[in-house]
Amino acid sequence: MLEIKNLHVSVGDKPILKGLTLSIAPGQVHAIMGPNGSGKSTLSYVLAGRAGYDITDGSILYNGEDLAAMAPEARAAKGVFLAMQYPVEIPGVTTMTFLKAALNSQRRARGESDLDAVNVLKLVRARAKTLNVSEDMLKRALNVGFSGGEKKRLEILQMAIFEPKLAILDETDSGLDIDALKLVADGVNALRAPTRAMLVITHYQRLLDYIVPDRIHVLVAGRIVAEGGKELALELEAKGYDKFVKEPA
Amino acid sequence: MTALELRRAEARTIFESRGLPTRRVEEWKYSDLKSALGEAGLGEDTAYVRLLGRLPEGVEYCDLVNPKPWAAAHFGTLARNAVSEASLAFAEGGLALRVPAGKAIGEPLLLETGGAGHARVLLVLESGASLTLFETTDTAGTRNTGFEIVLEAGAHLAHVRLAQPVETVQVEEIALSLAARARYDGHFASFGGKLARAELIIALEGEGAEAHLSGVSVLGGTAHADVTTHVIHRKGNTRSTQLFKHVAGGKAHAVYQGKVTVAKGADGADSRQTAKALLLSETAEADLKPELEIFADDVKCAHGAAVGDLDPDSLFYLRARGIPESHARAILMYAFLEDALEPVANEDLRGAVRTGVQAALRSLL
Repeated sequence: MLEIKNLHVSVGDKPILKGLTLSIAPGQVHAIMGPNGSGKSTLSYVLAGRAGYDITDGSILYNGEDLAAMAPEARAAKGVFLAMQYPVEIPGVTTMTFLKAALNSQRRARGESDLDAVNVLKLVRARAKTLNVSEDMLKRALNVGFSGGEKKRLEILQMAIFEPKLAILDETDSGLDIDALKLVADGVNALRAPTRAMLVITHYQRLLDYIVPDRIHVLVAGRIVAEGGKELALELEAKGYDKFVKEPA
Repeated sequence: MTALELRRAEARTIFESRGLPTRRVEEWKYSDLKSALGEAGLGEDTAYVRLLGRLPEGVEYCDLVNPKPWAAAHFGTLARNAVSEASLAFAEGGLALRVPAGKAIGEPLLLETGGAGHARVLLVLESGASLTLFETTDTAGTRNTGFEIVLEAGAHLAHVRLAQPVETVQVEEIALSLAARARYDGHFASFGGKLARAELIIALEGEGAEAHLSGVSVLGGTAHADVTTHVIHRKGNTRSTQLFKHVAGGKAHAVYQGKVTVAKGADGADSRQTAKALLLSETAEADLKPELEIFADDVKCAHGAAVGDLDPDSLFYLRARGIPESHARAILMYAFLEDALEPVANEDLRGAVRTGVQAALRSLL
């Protein structure tokens, strides 16, 4: 589903990703672990299409298409979803209004008809319940005054509503206490499906206790320096990243 | 000559001696009326003021050719600047409206100014009366409207002015006098013109009087919209708030000039002013100038102004959720304006302003 080959990305003049290669098949959950500054967030933003990240070499194929050539909204309509580390607050737009606009934009781009307000509400409410997202949150301005946990829950709610094919979770565990973390992880696990791939980006092993990946990649200084099964997370937790920082593979 | 005719003659003399304001006149610093009008100037024609729909029960009216005593008593007493003197001098007739003491009018009164030339309106709310006024403008003609509003003790006026986008020069001066505990809620939506302007001169003459102003402008092309306010706190415990937001694209020019004067003795006055502008292009321009003049003690006054662009992180967030760029921009522009629309209490009128704002935003994309 996702084929990243020899990806080089710079922000301004500064190279961040320096030859990253990674491929994920449908149904798989991969994790990227790495210390601060290793390029984890850069990778997530490049995949979602944020401006300011220049691909200087390499390629990203998504279902055989050149992902980098697509506008962010086109990627979303084709099933790419990024649960952001820092969801933005947008005063003046209610969460419900935003969800409806986003859902119908994606549907329109795929040539599907709009869902009317009643059906959007039904869909959102059904998904919101399991993620403990209250009616009140849906009525409030998007992310404004939400706690860290509420923001992350809303990201996962969006994932449940948009039903992406490729979901990228960028530091979804940051700022969450253990109860909030479990709730979010349960939400994510419920969305695991044979047709869906996930890329979980995290600094800590903790999240991977709850979202158990099929494969782990260790990202250090813009390159994948180690790969393995879920047991790699425990090793990293015990020994830290130092080994990889000092002896790049 | 009647007193009215004398006042009109005096207005003519004043206008002729002062002439059209230039940009050297402080209140016209950012709007060049003289050059926008060109050779033709303001002219001496009469524009019209009319009611849309029916007159709500309980509201009285008369024309200003043969005004009733209650109208004659106030006509021409509030306005004093050159442009409003011109409307006083040249508008033949005009409309006067009164809500008698203690009457609360539920149904909004709908007023339209139209045509080319000068127009005059006088509105009197007697003590304890209340009214919602919706004022709209037609798109034709160069027009100069002079509006006087008298709010007696405890009266409450909710005023929504929705100015249609025009190609011409349309200016309006609204002069208000508020007695003790009277309250004015004014909302001003504008989509600009060659030069579109609403100037408010609000005198809080009585203890505890309040004026709450809000407004939005959405401007594209070469549109120019100007809101100029002067709120004078003459008595103690008076309050005023102002929240104006502008979105300007193309080569449009948004102006907010707001002056608050707290006179000697107006202790306990409270005033807040906020003006913000969102500029969508390098060539769009905004001049925001809040200003305070304080001669009293123990007052609370705050003001702020900010000019910015759409937040790129917010834009990316919406696009990453599948919302196309132009739609995402419209959502963010609307979100920027939203809190300045909220003060419009009447839902139908807020809906009318929203509709206008959304149409204008679409045309900016």
